Amino acid sequence: MGISKVVKDTFLIAWIKSYPDFRRNPLMLVLIAMISSIPLFFMLMFSGGGNTIIHGLIGAMVSSVAFTGVMAGIQDISWDRYVKIREMIVAMPVHPGSYALGIALAPLLISIPSLIFFGGLVAFMGFLTVETLAWTVLALIIVWAAMSTMGFMISTYLFKSSMMILNNLSNLLGIGLIFIPPVYYSEAQLGGLSWISIVIPTSNAAGLIRSYMGLLPLSMETTIIRWSVLIITTVAFMAMTFIKARWRET
Amino acid sequence: MEADAVKSTDLRKIYDGIDEIEALKAVNIEVGRGELFTLLGPNGAGKTTFLRIISTQLFPTSGDAFVLGYSAVSEAEEVRKHIAVVPQDVATYNNFTPWEYAYYFARLRGMASPAARQKAEEALKAVDLWDLKNRMCQTLSGGEKRRATIASVLSSDADVLMLDEPTSGLDAVARRGVWSALRDLVKSGKTILLTTHMMEEAEMVSDRLAIVNKGDVVACGRPDEIKGLVREKFRVVINGDFKQLSSFEVAKLGDRSIVYVKTQDEAIDVLKDSLKMNLRAEASAVTLEDVFVKLVGGLNNHGNQ
Repeated sequence: MGISKVVKDTFLIAWIKSYPDFRRNPLMLVLIAMISSIPLFFMLMFSGGGNTIIHGLIGAMVSSVAFTGVMAGIQDISWDRYVKIREMIVAMPVHPGSYALGIALAPLLISIPSLIFFGGLVAFMGFLTVETLAWTVLALIIVWAAMSTMGFMISTYLFKSSMMILNNLSNLLGIGLIFIPPVYYSEAQLGGLSWISIVIPTSNAAGLIRSYMGLLPLSMETTIIRWSVLIITTVAFMAMTFIKARWRET
Repeated sequence: MEADAVKSTDLRKIYDGIDEIEALKAVNIEVGRGELFTLLGPNGAGKTTFLRIISTQLFPTSGDAFVLGYSAVSEAEEVRKHIAVVPQDVATYNNFTPWEYAYYFARLRGMASPAARQKAEEALKAVDLWDLKNRMCQTLSGGEKRRATIASVLSSDADVLMLDEPTSGLDAVARRGVWSALRDLVKSGKTILLTTHMMEEAEMVSDRLAIVNKGDVVACGRPDEIKGLVREKFRVVINGDFKQLSSFEVAKLGDRSIVYVKTQDEAIDVLKDSLKMNLRAEASAVTLEDVFVKLVGGLNNHGNQ
């Protein structure tokens, strides 16, 4: 199978999975933005001032891609029991990589409007330069990849679990990895426990974005370590998925 | 020599688990090109397993299956270029339209946009959905939704179409619409492999069929050949308790009896006897269902005396 067909199919699958929502379910786009905005609302109400809002907006950007990313892989398994698109695609001349990447790309496309919204606010507040934009986009892409591969990994290992368990798990993970660790707030608030933010991909990415925006002082070594951890985590999730995942059932 | 459209050689599938299940027991089936071949069998007979192996979704435990001469085990990529599949009990994306189903699936098969548009239009017209092409699936009836998914395989231009119980849950009119579309495709040279547990469907649409039970092929041939496998050629359905059983085979269905006889004269005798007993009776040729029940379950499973 040629690489151009693999790439074309990836975007086609992503389009198939996202276009109907863009066109006929615009409320979904608002919902994604609203979910990401909930912590911001509380921050506005009860914030202690300072940079709280910009920390919250960075969290909302990370949340926009991470929440839908982790849900994509898990919900693909549960939805597919009814819609069976995957079953039909397995029997087509489509590469499994195109399918997985397309499924993961679809929520990224859906979260673009809310990313633009939150990014626009960050830019309006003067924290987004061309250089910080490039690092921010890179961090967001990697955290999307990490969360998507985590979703696929979980769905692969829990392939036979009930739809209820899978859906609850994807929601729990979304909340657990986005709203609890220092994604919306600065990891400096954790004091001695701030290392936790490096381990969790969402807070790691948020910390990196903050450092490029001058909100979190990180040494060059720490920055390199954090990027490495983020990439290694993504690769590890990917490897664990590849070990277990089977395009054809045995 | 041209290879068969579909061929399986000693195809076996064992599902491991707490209870090991042998879903297919060395199944050998040959389907010619341009033929509509049906796998007919009760639930759990192994029909879907067979279809999933042929369509490269599932590996067999042993044996092999071929599509147009390509092995479904070792040449899956080649097989996939020539097939299109509609799985069992498939639902639709509610916010998809029939047009999107037909068009995007054609694009995924590698068709360029103009060709995909043309094929999608042909497919939707074939399943009588052209007028509803831009309606969201959530507003369609069950039959229309099913036809939308069938359109997604019709637009594929694949040589071999595989449909797993394509009409289950459809009303009679919708079912006939699907049958008509399938027969038109066969006329245009496509090969169709479908599974069903509906006797009427198997009899109406199939060029040939195989009766599958517990992973075994118990009969294979044209519908009339299959019906010729039993000695009894006629059936008399009697309303009421028919006493004169004598040498005839009788299946009891509650307060009704089906008497199986070998000749037309015997059928007339049974009709006369029932009329004498003031019982309403009707004679006809044996159906595929009669033969199926005899071959698969035996009449004892269905109230035979």
